[in-house]
Amino acid sequence: MQEPLRIDPTRALTDMATFQRKLAAGMANLRDMREPEYANTPRELVYSEDKLKVWHFTGAGKSRAKTPLLIVYALVNTVWMTDLQADRSMVSNLLEQGEDVYLIEWGYPDGADRWLTLDDYINGYLDRCVDAVRQRHDLDAINLLGICQGGAFSLCYTALHQHKVKNLITMVTPVDFHTPDNMLSSWCRNMDVDLFVDTMGNIPAGLMNYVYLTLKPIRLNQQKYIGMVDILDSPVELENFLRMERWIFDSPDQAGEAFRQFIKDFYQANKLVKGTLEIGGQPVDLGMITRPVLNIFAEHDHLVPPDASRALGKHIGTTDYTQLAFKGGHIGIYVSSRAQREVPPAIHQWLRQRS
Amino acid sequence: MADLAGDFMRDYQLLAQQSWDAWTRQFQQTPATNPFAPPPAPAAGNETLERTLAGMKGYFDWMQAGIAGGGGATPVGDWQQQLQQMFGGAAQPFSQAFGSIDSASAESFTRQSQTWWKAVQHGGFGEVPGMQGATPAFGLNREQQMQQQALAAALLASLQASARYQELIQRANAQGVQRLQDKLAEHAEPGRQIDSMKGLYDLWVDASEEAYADIALSDEFRDVYGEMVNTQMRARQLQQEQTERLCRELGVPTRSEVSSLGERLQALRREFRASRAGGSVDHADDIAALRQEVVALKRQLAKPAPAATPRAANKVARAKSPGAAKKAAPKPASAVTSRTGSRKRK
Repeated sequence: MQEPLRIDPTRALTDMATFQRKLAAGMANLRDMREPEYANTPRELVYSEDKLKVWHFTGAGKSRAKTPLLIVYALVNTVWMTDLQADRSMVSNLLEQGEDVYLIEWGYPDGADRWLTLDDYINGYLDRCVDAVRQRHDLDAINLLGICQGGAFSLCYTALHQHKVKNLITMVTPVDFHTPDNMLSSWCRNMDVDLFVDTMGNIPAGLMNYVYLTLKPIRLNQQKYIGMVDILDSPVELENFLRMERWIFDSPDQAGEAFRQFIKDFYQANKLVKGTLEIGGQPVDLGMITRPVLNIFAEHDHLVPPDASRALGKHIGTTDYTQLAFKGGHIGIYVSSRAQREVPPAIHQWLRQRS
Repeated sequence: MADLAGDFMRDYQLLAQQSWDAWTRQFQQTPATNPFAPPPAPAAGNETLERTLAGMKGYFDWMQAGIAGGGGATPVGDWQQQLQQMFGGAAQPFSQAFGSIDSASAESFTRQSQTWWKAVQHGGFGEVPGMQGATPAFGLNREQQMQQQALAAALLASLQASARYQELIQRANAQGVQRLQDKLAEHAEPGRQIDSMKGLYDLWVDASEEAYADIALSDEFRDVYGEMVNTQMRARQLQQEQTERLCRELGVPTRSEVSSLGERLQALRREFRASRAGGSVDHADDIAALRQEVVALKRQLAKPAPAATPRAANKVARAKSPGAAKKAAPKPASAVTSRTGSRKRK
C-alpha cells in the first residue's frame, strides 16, 4: 500500500498557472461572444392563444408520416431544449426521420395567468392545441409526445380524451412521485403549498432554478464552471456551453394555481398512481388508457428518477406498452450525441410500426 | 533559492489577483443611478454570476493554498491530516461551496426584512412591538401592534429554521470530507493514486455530493426544509399584509385586489368558453365512448352464436345493411381490441 495522495508540486504549479492563463485568455473570448441562438429549425405558427403558440416545423422535405406528432413540454423551462442547435436537435432529427412535428410553446406566465389551473392547461389549452392540429390534418387522432411534466399532462389528457390520441410517447415523465430517490418530492412533502402559493402568487422562475441547482449544489454551482475554464479557448465549445446556460436560466414563472395543484396532487398525494386524481372534476385513470404507449426514460436522471418513470408500466391500461431506457441524464436525452443517434430513430421506428 | 521561489509565488499571486479583479469588473454591471432605488442590493442575475466567480476563485485559492502547503509531497501517514487542512476548516474556501447554496435566497430575504424593519421604524412606529416578546396590545392601534408582534415572531421562527437548515448543510460538508478520506483510501494501490489537484478536487465533489444526497433525502432534512419554507412564507405573508394595509391607507391598489380581479376574470373566461362550447366537448367524449360500446356489442352479436340460437344470429345479420356493417368495421375493431385487451390492475 502507498500514499493515496501523491501530487507533484511542480505539476500542481503548472496546473494552477494553466488554469489562470486560460481564465485570463477566456475573458477576451467571452467578451467577444454574442448571445448564442437556439430554436433555429424553420417553423410556422399555426395556432396561438393567450401566451401559448403551436409551431409546425416545416423541415427540408415533405413529411412521410400519416399522423402528425405534437410535442407537449413541461411548464418549467422552455420547449427549445428539443431544438437547441443544428447538431443537437431532437426536432430536426425527427423531421429527418420523416415525422411531421408540431410543438406547444407555453410562453411566460405573468400576473394575468395566476389563476390558470391544471384543468385550464390540460382540458383547455392542450385540448385546443390538439384540436388545431387535428383540424389541419382532418384527423380524429394525432400522436402525442409528452416531456417531463408535459408527459404527465399528456397521460392525463389521453386518459380524458382518448379518442383524440392515436399513440402516446412519454419522455422522462414522472408517474410515481414517491420513489425513495426523488429528492424534489421529498423536499416538498412537508411544504404548506397553500401558504406558499397564496404568498408568492406565481412561482418565480429564479426560485425554481435555485431549487434545481440545489439538487447537486457543488456540481452545478461550482464544478461546472471550473470545467468551463477548460473550454474558454474553444469558441465552439464555449458557445455550446453558453447556449445551454441560456436555456437553463431562460425559464418561465409558474402559474400559481397550476403549481399548487401539481405539487399537492402529484408530488404530495401521488394521486396519478393511486388512481384518485381528478382534473376539472373528471377522474384520471391510467388504467383506462388503451392507446399504444412508448415510455422513454433516462437511467441517470436526477430530476425524474428512472423508477418514477418505470412505474407507468404497472399502471397503464394498454397492452401495447414499450419501455426504453436511455443511458444518460434528464437533459442529455435531448442533446447528447448518443441521444441524437438513438432516441429520434427509436421514436420513429415505434410510430411507424403503429401508423 | 528559497527567496527566489517565495518571490515567484508573491509575484504570481499578485498577477492572479489582478486577473481576478479584471474578471470581476468585466462581468459586474454598473448599477443605474436611481434616487428612488432601495438600499444597495445585487441584482438577481448578478447573484448567480457572483456565485460562479466566487466558486472559481475558491477553487483557485484552494489550489494555491494546497501548493503553498506542500501539495501531496508529505511524509507517509500525513495525508489524512493534510486533507483535514485542505477541506475541513471552516475558513477554507470550499466551506462556502455548500454554505452558499442557501446564502443567496436567505440573504435577499434577510435584506428585505432589514429594509422592512427600517421602513417601519422610520415610518413613525418607533420601536417595533414584539421585538422583546409578545405583550398584550390595546387601544386604537391594537390591531397593528398585534400584526407587528406576529411578524416579529414569524421572522424569528424563520431565522431559527434557516439556522437548522444550515446545520444540516454543514453536516453534509463535514461528512463529505470523511467520505473523501474513505474514497482516497481506495486509491492507495499503485497506479490508482491521485496525482493532481484537479483529480483531488473532482474526488471531493463526488464525495460531497454523495454525503449531501444522503442527508437531503433524509426525513430530518425533509422536516427542516419544509419548516424553513413554511416559516419564511409566513413571515413574507405578514409583511405583505402590513404593506397592503399601508397601501390601502394611501389609496394605492394592492396586490390582493389585482389578484382578486384576475381570479374573477379567469372564472368568467371559463364560463364563457363553457357556454360557447355548449357542452359539445363533453358530448364528443360521451359519443366516442358510446360508439365504442356499440361497436363492442355489435361484435359480440356478430360472433358465432351457440348452437341453440342460429336463428337469432341470422336475424341480427339480416337486420343490418351490408354497407353499414362494412363502414363500421375498421374503427370498432381497434376499439374492441383495446377494450378487451386492456389490463387494468386496480
